[in-house]
Amino acid sequence: MPLELSVLSPLVVDFPFEWNYIRSIIRVSLYVSITAVVLSTLFSIPVALLVGFKDFRGKTLLTSIINTGMGFPSVVVGLVVLFTVSNEGPLGSWDLVFTPEAMIMSQFVLAAPVITGVSLAAVSSVEQNVRDAAFAMGGTRADVALVTIKEARYGIATAVLAGFGRAISEVGSVLIVGGNIAGSDGTSVTRTLTTAIQLEARQGRFETAMILGAILVVLVLIVNAIVVRLGGDTGGNR
Amino acid sequence: MTLTADDVHHGYGTDPVFEGVSLTVAPGEVLAIIGPSGVGKSTLLRLLALFDEPDGGAIEFGGEAVWDVSERKRLDYRRRIGMVFQEASLFDASVRRNAEYGLRVRKPWSDRLRHELATLVGRTNGTGDAIDALETVGLREKAEQDAASLSGGEAQRVAFARALAYDPEMLLLDEPTSDLDPRNTAVLEDAVLEARNRGIGVVIATHDMHQAERIADRVAVLLENQIIEVGETERIFEMPRDDRTRKFIDGELIY
Repeated sequence: MPLELSVLSPLVVDFPFEWNYIRSIIRVSLYVSITAVVLSTLFSIPVALLVGFKDFRGKTLLTSIINTGMGFPSVVVGLVVLFTVSNEGPLGSWDLVFTPEAMIMSQFVLAAPVITGVSLAAVSSVEQNVRDAAFAMGGTRADVALVTIKEARYGIATAVLAGFGRAISEVGSVLIVGGNIAGSDGTSVTRTLTTAIQLEARQGRFETAMILGAILVVLVLIVNAIVVRLGGDTGGNR
Repeated sequence: MTLTADDVHHGYGTDPVFEGVSLTVAPGEVLAIIGPSGVGKSTLLRLLALFDEPDGGAIEFGGEAVWDVSERKRLDYRRRIGMVFQEASLFDASVRRNAEYGLRVRKPWSDRLRHELATLVGRTNGTGDAIDALETVGLREKAEQDAASLSGGEAQRVAFARALAYDPEMLLLDEPTSDLDPRNTAVLEDAVLEARNRGIGVVIATHDMHQAERIADRVAVLLENQIIEVGETERIFEMPRDDRTRKFIDGELIY
């Protein structure tokens, strides 16, 4: 007996979005969060090495600021970034209000303390005698720093994941500085998965909010897998 | 080239560690520094390895004061010295990668990047010198193993190979066998003698008198912030000139 499509209909989700729209939201989310995390990592690891191994005035204060930054409320960060990029702000001439770049700025501010704080704990745990060995074998300061990063790579991978988790799951600041905008062509300009979920839920479209939530979780899982693979590579070729 | 400490003064805070220490190590000789624990043997080796600048006096390599030259030139001097610590302090990597480390940091960054990329796709074999150094300590067959899987004695032998691989002119050994069993100690002592035969000058800090007698050509006795006596090994042990040396060797001097 031929299978009637109507039999399957309860199993098929009535998907209300255009795929172009979905793809554009995913693209904006990944672009903003990955860029922010890459920039945060490039900034945070040297800072962690500096704070971990150099003695200087204000080191305790800087460490306290980093630790405080790990729990900084995202809406406050959003407000500060909005003031910074608004017409009257110091970066007003850059015309960044309601752009993905402003969202990158706010996610950078949110992710950097997390990546710095966790990386600091990781590099501080690398034993002095391993760093001495690198120096004694003829390593320069850069070589010793590289050895430290390699020895702390599992912790640094965790730091990057924690920073990415904070960035991609963030709603408050990207809503403030990005504005959750979709263009007239029906694709996202500054709408991310999180702000789209918030919008759909507020408008009562819970199924679509759930689908977007599932996509977000899958994306986080994929990024986790990639970072763990890169950061936690084992075997004889290190 | 000769490595020399000339009237070195050094301390931590107001506590002096050395008050006028002088000694010379020539290529192809083994000099043992003996003295009780805490006397500053490790500190002296760190000064000779150019980790720290002495408060006074000079460290000279080939007659040139190494702290009076540019940082670049000092790096060149540093790269002619190898050091092995009391703990193996291996990197979290394979045995081969550990042994190659000194060779790797001496290459230009472009070569290093190319080597790292080749390593990522598994297209490298051990560098000859590193594999030879592993052969010297009898661990060639473990080159591809993870360093963390080695026993303490094997790890220390790899640390020795790591310092030997880039063919230094001087080797500084800081109590390298204090945690080892007799078999691993014997392997390392043989490797020290082989390094000497290759013309490498060796300084070994040890509190093991028998080890000093077995492998050292000369012995320096470090006591009371100074080298109180230095001379041929046999003479130091048979006919010490300083009464404190005799008491220390006989175990009468308690610190």
